[in-house]
Amino acid sequence: MRTQLTGVPELAPDGAARAGSPAASAVAVAGLSKCYGTVQAVRGVSFTVGHGEIFALLGPNGAGKTTILEILEGFRTRDAGLVDVLGIDPGDRSQGRALRERIGLVLQDIAVEPYLTVHETIARNAGYYPAPRDVGDVIGLAGLVGQERRKVRNLSGGQKRRLDLALGLIGNPELLFLDEPTTGFDPNARRDAWDIVRGLQGSGTTILLTTHYMDEAQALADRVAVISGGQIVAEGTPSTIGGRDRARARISFALPGGYTTADLPLDAVPASTGPGDGLVAVETAEPTRTLHQLTGWALAHGTVLGQLTVVQPSLEDIYLRLTGHGGPGEPEPTIEGSTR
Amino acid sequence: MSIATYRAPRRDLALLWHQIRYEQLSFWRNPQSAFFTFVFPVVLIAVFGALFRGADGSSYFYGLTALQYYVPTIAALSVLGSCYSQLAIVLAMRRQNGILKRVRATPLPAWAYFLGLLAHCIMVSVVDVVLIAGIGAVFGVPLPTHWPAIAVTLVLGAASFCALGVAVASLIRNAEAAPAVVQLVLFPLVFISGTYMPIHSDVLNSIASALPVRPFNQALLGPFAQHTGFDWKALGVLAAWGAAGALIAIRRFRWNPRPQ
Repeated sequence: MRTQLTGVPELAPDGAARAGSPAASAVAVAGLSKCYGTVQAVRGVSFTVGHGEIFALLGPNGAGKTTILEILEGFRTRDAGLVDVLGIDPGDRSQGRALRERIGLVLQDIAVEPYLTVHETIARNAGYYPAPRDVGDVIGLAGLVGQERRKVRNLSGGQKRRLDLALGLIGNPELLFLDEPTTGFDPNARRDAWDIVRGLQGSGTTILLTTHYMDEAQALADRVAVISGGQIVAEGTPSTIGGRDRARARISFALPGGYTTADLPLDAVPASTGPGDGLVAVETAEPTRTLHQLTGWALAHGTVLGQLTVVQPSLEDIYLRLTGHGGPGEPEPTIEGSTR
Repeated sequence: MSIATYRAPRRDLALLWHQIRYEQLSFWRNPQSAFFTFVFPVVLIAVFGALFRGADGSSYFYGLTALQYYVPTIAALSVLGSCYSQLAIVLAMRRQNGILKRVRATPLPAWAYFLGLLAHCIMVSVVDVVLIAGIGAVFGVPLPTHWPAIAVTLVLGAASFCALGVAVASLIRNAEAAPAVVQLVLFPLVFISGTYMPIHSDVLNSIASALPVRPFNQALLGPFAQHTGFDWKALGVLAAWGAAGALIAIRRFRWNPRPQ
């Protein structure tokens, strides 16, 4: 798996994103930019998605994820940059039908005709595609078995989301766009949705999803691009992104009574008392060695280190750092709400 | 599905038919559209039939009996309902609910979507008009003889009022306002166009003749009740309004819901 650790990507379209030719990748984006009035919603974004890959655009609300997705889907025009989706330029209106026959979309909002049944709704959309999946198969895949004859207006919110997913799958797409697919799901429904997405990847579907859930990106994606303020601030696999694999481990514990941090046997490792919980936190590049020193010291003094934990920085820590929370960064312009 | 093996034109025709079928299904399943659009004019002509049966012709109705006059005007009203009003309200609702945006996410071409709606509206109109003529016959109104003129007038009228319906849907900002705006335009227009009572004011008639409803009434009144054929002048006015509606619809129609 190719890993890129980009800082701020170049605006020029000749960067790493063009390394894959259109034929080699399902999606290739280079130097993509989009303005809404004076707000620069997307600033020189470049990335590629390989065939059969699950690629996640991870970022806070208003970071530009949906704008990028809508440009790729042909819903929005772009101001600058090159975009190639399955060998088609989504900005080319004359290719719109050909493109939509090969992609599937699950949008953020649920929108379905209220008076048709589940089966009728899916069968209607099946008729729009040249080689659709079997309606019954899709009902099974989306977990709607037993609901076929119910009117859409009588479905629960979660069932409507499943129906929306079924409509995204019915055309048997080569490439599936999922825009925050599990927002509002309960934990079980999320696991089910993840299983469906993994199953689709198993059958060869390329998936490009947006999410603001770190665990979702971690659970599903082969590669993640973190978006903030309309730019990709990091790209890589969930385990290596932002230097996560090389970051220091964090050991934390409650200081035994009667001791201060100065008493700890730490060679050149600064310890700090965390805010709020009063636990001591030690960051170290050698967790095995540091832990041995600490526990040895505690045993020698006949005391214990309460609430002892060792953690690698989570994707969430990396994400918060990269998107400018808890660290220096410019404020995020919120653009999606004003343009949709 | 064997659709993929069809040649492209046949596939497009199959697609259009597919779309019409599901528009029909959505329409008949929705109690509001099925009742107010389809049943209301039928009930209206039945009530008029009971009220005016056996009445003689009078100069007030241009020498016709009341029912001979009302069968074509209520038939016209049913077309207004199923094409103009229904379409404007349904499209405004579908846009606001994001259903139109969802349609754009599928390969269904825009022409197939709108032709499907047009064909659906014309079919509902034709069934309504046939029922109204049938009920008229039950109350003693002779069936018309100029069917070609009626058919052409119906299709042209339905198409023109569909175009105007899409145009109004393009100009309405939110779906809640749609029924009110639609009725606000339609009610005075229907009233001065002689749908509910003949208008004997030259001023009103010359104004109404330049608007779309009275020409449609006149173009149906001739072949239905007066043994005349095509009313080309009235059809011309109708077609002009239809073209204007289509122009606005093409330029102003939006698929995406307005931001909240």
